[in-house]
Amino acid sequence: MPETDKHSIEKTVYELSSTGRSTNLMPECDVPETELPVDLLREDLHLSELSELDVVRHFIHLSQRNFSVDGGFYPLGSCTMKYNPKVNEVCARLEGFAQSHPLQRDDTVQGNLALMFELQEWLKEIGGFAAVSLQPTAGAQGELTALLMMRAYFRDRGETGRTQILIPDSAHGTNPASTTMAGFEALEIPSDEHGNLDLAALRTVCDVSVAGLMITNPNTLGLFERDIETIVQCVHDCGGLVYGDGANMNALAGVVRPGDLGIDIMHYNLHKTFGTPHGGGGPGSGPLGVSEKLADYLPGPMVRQTNNTEKLQFSFSLFTPEKTIGRMNSHFGSFGVFVRAYAYILQHGAEGLKQNALHAVLNANYLRELLRSVYPLSHDRICMHEFVLQGKIEGSSVRAVDISKRLLDYDFHPPTTYFPLIVSEALMIEPTETENKQTLDAFAEALKVIAREATDNPEILHTAPHTMPVGRLDEVRAARQLKLRGD
Amino acid sequence: MSYLPHTESERRAMLNTLGISCMEELFADIPEHVRFPDLKLPLPLSQMELEKHLRELAGQNVNASSHECFLGAGAYHHYIPATVDYVTSRGEFFTAYTPYQPEASQGMLQAMFEYQSMICQLTEMDVTNASHYDGATALAEAVRMALNLASDERQKVILSSAVNPHYRETVRTYLLGSEASLIGENAAPGDMDSLVALLDDQVAALVIQNPNFLGQFEDVAGLAEKVHQAGALLIVVTDPIALGLFQSPGSYGADVVVADGQPLGIPLSFGGPYLGILATRMQYVRQMPGRLVGETVDQSGRRGYVLTLAAREQHIRRAKATSNICTNAGLMALAAATYLATLGKSGLRRVAELCYHKSHFAAQQLAERAGLEINPHKPGQPFFKEFSVQLPRPAEEVNRILLEDFGIIGGFDLGSCYSGFEQQMLIAVTEMKTRAAIDRLVDALAKITV
Amino acid sequence: MKRIGFLINPIAGMGGRVGLKGTDGVVDEARKLGAQPVAPQRAAEAMRTLSRMLANAEPELKLMPIRWLTCSGSMGEDILRSSGFAKNDIEIVYTPSGESTAEDTRLAVQRFLGHDIALILFCGGDGTARDICSIVGLKVPILGIPSGVKMYSGVFGTSPARTAEIACNFLRGGLTTVQAEVLDLNEARYREGEWIVQLFHTVLTPDEPMHVQSAKALIEDASDAEVKNAIAEFLLELFQRDEIELVLLGPGSTVNSVGNRWGIKKTLLGIDAVVQGKLVGCDLNERQILNLLAEFKTRKLVLSPIGAQGFVLGRGNLQLSPDVIRAIGSQNIMVIATPAKLARTPVLRFDTGDAALDSELAGDGYIRVITGYRRRRLVKTML
Repeated sequence: MPETDKHSIEKTVYELSSTGRSTNLMPECDVPETELPVDLLREDLHLSELSELDVVRHFIHLSQRNFSVDGGFYPLGSCTMKYNPKVNEVCARLEGFAQSHPLQRDDTVQGNLALMFELQEWLKEIGGFAAVSLQPTAGAQGELTALLMMRAYFRDRGETGRTQILIPDSAHGTNPASTTMAGFEALEIPSDEHGNLDLAALRTVCDVSVAGLMITNPNTLGLFERDIETIVQCVHDCGGLVYGDGANMNALAGVVRPGDLGIDIMHYNLHKTFGTPHGGGGPGSGPLGVSEKLADYLPGPMVRQTNNTEKLQFSFSLFTPEKTIGRMNSHFGSFGVFVRAYAYILQHGAEGLKQNALHAVLNANYLRELLRSVYPLSHDRICMHEFVLQGKIEGSSVRAVDISKRLLDYDFHPPTTYFPLIVSEALMIEPTETENKQTLDAFAEALKVIAREATDNPEILHTAPHTMPVGRLDEVRAARQLKLRGD
Repeated sequence: MSYLPHTESERRAMLNTLGISCMEELFADIPEHVRFPDLKLPLPLSQMELEKHLRELAGQNVNASSHECFLGAGAYHHYIPATVDYVTSRGEFFTAYTPYQPEASQGMLQAMFEYQSMICQLTEMDVTNASHYDGATALAEAVRMALNLASDERQKVILSSAVNPHYRETVRTYLLGSEASLIGENAAPGDMDSLVALLDDQVAALVIQNPNFLGQFEDVAGLAEKVHQAGALLIVVTDPIALGLFQSPGSYGADVVVADGQPLGIPLSFGGPYLGILATRMQYVRQMPGRLVGETVDQSGRRGYVLTLAAREQHIRRAKATSNICTNAGLMALAAATYLATLGKSGLRRVAELCYHKSHFAAQQLAERAGLEINPHKPGQPFFKEFSVQLPRPAEEVNRILLEDFGIIGGFDLGSCYSGFEQQMLIAVTEMKTRAAIDRLVDALAKITV
Repeated sequence: MKRIGFLINPIAGMGGRVGLKGTDGVVDEARKLGAQPVAPQRAAEAMRTLSRMLANAEPELKLMPIRWLTCSGSMGEDILRSSGFAKNDIEIVYTPSGESTAEDTRLAVQRFLGHDIALILFCGGDGTARDICSIVGLKVPILGIPSGVKMYSGVFGTSPARTAEIACNFLRGGLTTVQAEVLDLNEARYREGEWIVQLFHTVLTPDEPMHVQSAKALIEDASDAEVKNAIAEFLLELFQRDEIELVLLGPGSTVNSVGNRWGIKKTLLGIDAVVQGKLVGCDLNERQILNLLAEFKTRKLVLSPIGAQGFVLGRGNLQLSPDVIRAIGSQNIMVIATPAKLARTPVLRFDTGDAALDSELAGDGYIRVITGYRRRRLVKTML
């Protein structure tokens, strides 16, 4: 008996391949052929041989085995899986954008440069910064860029003894990784009982060895750092810089400008706050905003507006800041993502962005309220755009992972699970502003049903999911018996 | 324009549930004096207005569709089969995130697994990761990886000047936090002997590009042996299209292979997003940065895929070794997988052949009809789809005339990056260039350069 | 054929519900207070889960012949049978004479060791773990189904079901073994109001990497061994930079791993001295340490807290007297711990017997603990 379609395996392109089959897309050669250098040619190339229909059907089958925002509720905490407007896709595919070459002369790509310039300006305005570089290709690269800039800044000032980067224990895992990558040492600061950074602890370590603090605000518990201004003051007083991890900016755009709080440098995640699609794991974009004193260190090329007084034929041009740390990638960063973010901001305007943040926070608090009697909350206070529950049910052996996997059976993507690390059995839920009340109600209802199942029938949770193309996968085996290709 | 779904009564109901009267009350933790700033942003546009505005902006750009484009230098105008955009436009793929929940992400995971498999075949390496941001960052990570693999005494990396200048700049930035140094960039492009002479017991790796930035094949015979004898690793930057026809870095002994996957079905898009390819040998898998998809089974023995060796991402031996990569270029890797599956073995070879024949035809015509010297720094060396020509006047000037008078996007001004290459232009000819387009370029240059 | 030793301490955990801080030596009192056996249910939950997992496993594991060596009656046999393991696969190797005691546990383990066993799976608490370790040493890994009143030792699964999962993965060959500490509260002293958790042994236990999402928690996902290597690497870098002549290594498995990384055969429970990368003294007493300190000007002492209750000094390392600590200098003490250990150790304590020194060591309420390569964490201290 064949299994149902949904549960049968999808063959790989190599398994589907049939020797000699092909899709001939290429034209005849319309120039005289040149003799090939025989000793440089390869003998064989083992790629799949498929018809175009084979290819299309294969990838459509794969797409059917993938959960997405377009397909369902995706409350993955700290990832801001909001709706990605389709008009932005249309815009990014316009030939003028998609077919322009990054090494064309400035005067031939004025549309691109105008777009980049305005995006820089808008991000400056939204974040409260003196300058923005669009270079970094993702949030983690933004972090690394920022740390390298901080390093260059202190070198210029002769303060080479500043080797420590302070990081709250609730931080994203990329923070300490970027820190060591930039040649600094990471010192993790504990959180207090309210889920905020422990100010007393911070005070004991702020000295001349501190290069800076990396802070995510709202933090990964979804809580706004109430003492943010004191924290910033504390770090500034010892001569350090404050880096803001902008991953959670969706709660703040239009609500407060990190620059106004004294943050010196911050990356934006265009693929979170500004509605650009996550692409199944990229491309992202992590522009960096900085205060005046760091502006000269930004990576280039950046775009500036040129005075038109001397009859120049164009008004936007590329430039590289004076003391730049250098280039972070081949060209300007993820231009295709800039187009989408630009379109997103232009659709919303100032009031629209603010409304997004208000509703993101409303949705999170509403969901938190619906669930607080069912699952323990990490911290029982008003949250920002996300909140953290504990996946524990009194008297049941189920764990957060079981609850997450069971949610899949109810057609919901699980929350971020086991993060932040400082909360045991953490389930981090970020509903975003684009989800309607019915969806939020249905999600809460599913979690309530699961809580009952945890007591009545824990087995069904331990073995979940039951309705996905595959059941719970053996990750240990994947790591022990490495199979990283199948050709 | 707004994508907010709540009706007024729904919002009211939600606020009632929370026992508050307006949403602003939720923001009491934010210092009042900076709360709700008055942002100076343009007024919002409707979708219709927006699309019109962006069409206007896009319309201001000269581009490879509006003009014949002979510009390459790391980003190429290749044909993108219709299947690629069809697949990557599926919301199921592009509105998903990194596959943290494998059971709900089998589609993307399997596509990445197939991508890894195909890139391994193309490069003839053992293992490929699930992508980097672009070729430059992939190279930077490869260099860090080699430094990590080497002993503490090996803190130098030999970097050929024939590696893409932007890649070299990126490597330099990525090494700012380490003690490592880059050497060899003073040697002339293509001067392999000078690079080999720099090998000693302090060198962690030698980096070449093949075909190199100037389009030519490097003389790699015996190179890997020499590098390995000196205890270093050989890192090769390559062009994935060239591998459809020419020897792979794996076949001549490379330890790490890096490429920008843009030619594999990814639009020029003014420089990004692109795709960083990184492949290596199995013995280095644990030091390899980036995500990896592995095959496994579920509880009932059914095949499935997961992100694996996650601990390896942070195998911290020294600071210089770590990689922080998180979000990568998943959708671009999907595009490359679709591209390779669509073209297949014979199709990719055909693309490479067309690039080879057309670029050689163009070079020969330029020599014959415009009297231009081809590859003056190393004439006669085999090349793939790009070659340089010596112009009698500045390349920038020539390019301006090409654009304004002939509607052609000219080649890359080599003098802007290489001393001794003033008034030289790097010309890329892909399968997209018809004979007529090549003739137009030749005619134009013949006129401009007399 | 895989052989597994299986035993239950049927009285483990009985003291907890009735307010006793353990069951060692007070089982009658516990019964009088109305205590009910806990361990059999916990063991049954784990074993039922395990037998179901094995039945549903991939063919290689499903068909793997497993022989259970156990004790008669409530010490193992009953639960194995009722959990669905075949009679033919169960072999009784020990029969207790009456009510089972600590001595029975030790004797049973001795019998297990007479066969070629891959793992000892037991149900009990810290006391049981201690009894097993006193016999098994580092010969065979052990894994505990949690059932005791106290479970400070690093050999227990977080729940019976999780323990079954770990056992299953171990059988599958999916896990390695790591050294873990077996700690126990001195129960007699505890009942008198003193909180003294001692480090008793180091054993092997199956190592399961933490269940975390990869990208969100990159570092913590690293295996125990990798983290310890990273710590060792960083220490080495710091010692080279500061030209440290004498390094004193304290007790415990974390510090031990540092020694291993440096190619030094360190004593597990003693204080050892390293000069120029060479071991110059093992299991030193107070006098010997003071002599060394007189000889070398630059010195560091590396310590790791005892898991859970957090004593850095004052438990199990009496050689480090107040005089010794003063001679070393509190600024020369480097505390190391893996993030996993710190996760169960929220507060660090010092108890040298000298209150002024303790308060100096505790700093201003926080100390820095090295948790990885170029990575430290600020941890709360308490006197």
